[in-house]
Amino acid sequence: MSAHDVVLGVLVGAAVAGELLCCIGLVVMRDVYDRLHYAMAASAVPPFLVAAAVLVEEDWTQPGINALLIAVALFFVCPVLAHATARVARTRRR
Amino acid sequence: MNVWLWGATALLLGVLPCGWVAVRASRVDALVGLQTAGTVVTLALVLLAEGFHRSSYMGVAVTLAFLSFVGTLLIARFLGGHL
Repeated sequence: MSAHDVVLGVLVGAAVAGELLCCIGLVVMRDVYDRLHYAMAASAVPPFLVAAAVLVEEDWTQPGINALLIAVALFFVCPVLAHATARVARTRRR
Repeated sequence: MNVWLWGATALLLGVLPCGWVAVRASRVDALVGLQTAGTVVTLALVLLAEGFHRSSYMGVAVTLAFLSFVGTLLIARFLGGHL
């Protein structure tokens, strides 16, 4: 097993573990705001770990750039969704 | 099976908790579950595209990332009063 394979394994493993932890947090938490916290964590770090893994494998080619585009899109777009969802939850609470 | 396909398989297990929240919790919580499921499936599609060495499959993941944003935002913005 080469260093390249080890780096890939670590990056993909960390991304999957982070994502699964956030999914478990979604179930464990009882409040919608706490759940939103975990949903946002799921879209912040793991996508960049996956993008890094794809860039290690493919270099700056079309798949690598696409994976990075997805990570950046999720990073900037999901807070907008969190804001909209929290607003709905606050309206319901009133 | 390579590391990408193992990762995608493990990642798809993350859809189950999201589904559980969508079914068992309130409708606003279900929206959060839908949001998280969108992220999880998008990343699983990236891993599957790499695992099968088909770079064209990456387009599906890019499309899903934007469509899940639009879908969830539409539900939150226009159906928020009914949640």
